[in-house]
Amino acid sequence: MAYLGMDSSNIQPTEEFPEDAPLRAQVEKLLHAGLRSEVEPRAYDPEMQQSVLARLQHVLAEEVAKRVEIAGFTLHPYAAEGIEEACETCMYFLSHRQFCALPELQLPVKPDWSCRLWRI
Amino acid sequence: MANMLWLQGGACSGNTMSFLNAEEPSACDLVTDFGINVLWQPSLGMDMGENVQKLLRDCVSGAIPLDIFVFEGTVVNAPNGTGTWNRFAGRPMKDWVKELTAAAQFVVALGDCATWGGIPATAPNPSDSKGLQFLKKQHGGFLGANFKSKAGLPVINIPGCPAHPDWVTQVLVAVATGRAGELELDDLQRPKTFFKSFTQTGCTRNMHFAYKVSATEFGQRKGCLFYDLGCRGPMTHSPCNRILWNRQSSKTRAGMPCLGCTEPEFPFFDLAPGSVFKTQTMMGVPKELPEGVDKSAYIKLTAAAKSASPAWAEKDIFVI
Ligand code: SF4
Ligand code: SF4
Ligand code: SF4
Repeated sequence: MAYLGMDSSNIQPTEEFPEDAPLRAQVEKLLHAGLRSEVEPRAYDPEMQQSVLARLQHVLAEEVAKRVEIAGFTLHPYAAEGIEEACETCMYFLSHRQFCALPELQLPVKPDWSCRLWRI
Repeated sequence: MANMLWLQGGACSGNTMSFLNAEEPSACDLVTDFGINVLWQPSLGMDMGENVQKLLRDCVSGAIPLDIFVFEGTVVNAPNGTGTWNRFAGRPMKDWVKELTAAAQFVVALGDCATWGGIPATAPNPSDSKGLQFLKKQHGGFLGANFKSKAGLPVINIPGCPAHPDWVTQVLVAVATGRAGELELDDLQRPKTFFKSFTQTGCTRNMHFAYKVSATEFGQRKGCLFYDLGCRGPMTHSPCNRILWNRQSSKTRAGMPCLGCTEPEFPFFDLAPGSVFKTQTMMGVPKELPEGVDKSAYIKLTAAAKSASPAWAEKDIFVI
């Protein structure tokens, strides 16, 4: 995705975190293999957001598939009302590390992925 | 020598505590260097009972000239407009306030409760509290919109929950040394010298704001607190990052969002669940966008800012 000629997919993930690449590949593989994540309902209102976060807080860090499922990951931006909800624009996305810094997720991602906790 | 009287209505004493911590100048400097004679103050006054009543009566009658009247806390009007829920020196505090403000050369409202009603006046406002000349954003308050003290100024509002110690002592010095005329007040009667800039002015997280790198938890040493944690720094008039607290730090420097405590709407959204420390959003997009920016422009701006962000913006910085 590119806005105003800027394209954060050009930013290469930092090599400072060697554990990120295999984990990112694992998430991608899970979704390609047909893992059905809870893409909807979206966590737009505070109650829904809290309920998704509360469920994530009970999942162990190593249960990656479970986290991806509850958060409603997709390998493409989710579009609603003309807005593309992509990791790239999400407030939790670290563009250099290509990482989701939402405390309950803490997962390597890609700019054009998405999840239902997206906030800008 | 300027006589100062300080009373407390519906309050938590936070502004008195703040005042006693002042450093530039200190509460003692006011007396020794700037000629302020503290007639009475809730934590410093030595007199009690009858003596205080006599002192107050003398201030009202003019037997003791009252140069500065400082009021901390709300004017309590409950029940049924009588004000008897807050009695002081033998009568409702609100009756003393009415008479003392009419007798004083200058009236200073100190802290959010005295300026706009603050937390006590938040709906449903059970104590029927008002600020001296405002109730929240509405001009008027207890004294009415047309009130002017003897020197011709409206109430000088020093808001904050509590106000910073130095805002208080510096305003008192200006008034006591005859420089009140230099105190330019804004629309909400706050001295412009303190309340013209925003909390964000001088915030160490400004670059994170510009690059839209968000803090996700309190106390983090990186990221701006606006996007997720409800920081009101860009909308709040205060010098909190210019005149540091305890000369050391500020909320945002310590990783705590500004709550907008110098604005009349504080506490915002009447403390509705989910409104504190959380940026209010609609479909994931902030409800309050910068003026003139629509949703899709905001998203494009975010993408551009994030992709232009330097790598250091994602790393911890040293924040004092
Ligand atoms: S919270 Fe944001 S960055 Fe994290 S996975 Fe969801 S959309 Fe992507
Ligand atoms: S933390 Fe608050 S005051 Fe500081 S830059 Fe961000 S929004 Fe502004
Ligand atoms: S940072 Fe904000 S909430 Fe804190 S004291 Fe300053 S104006 Fe008030």
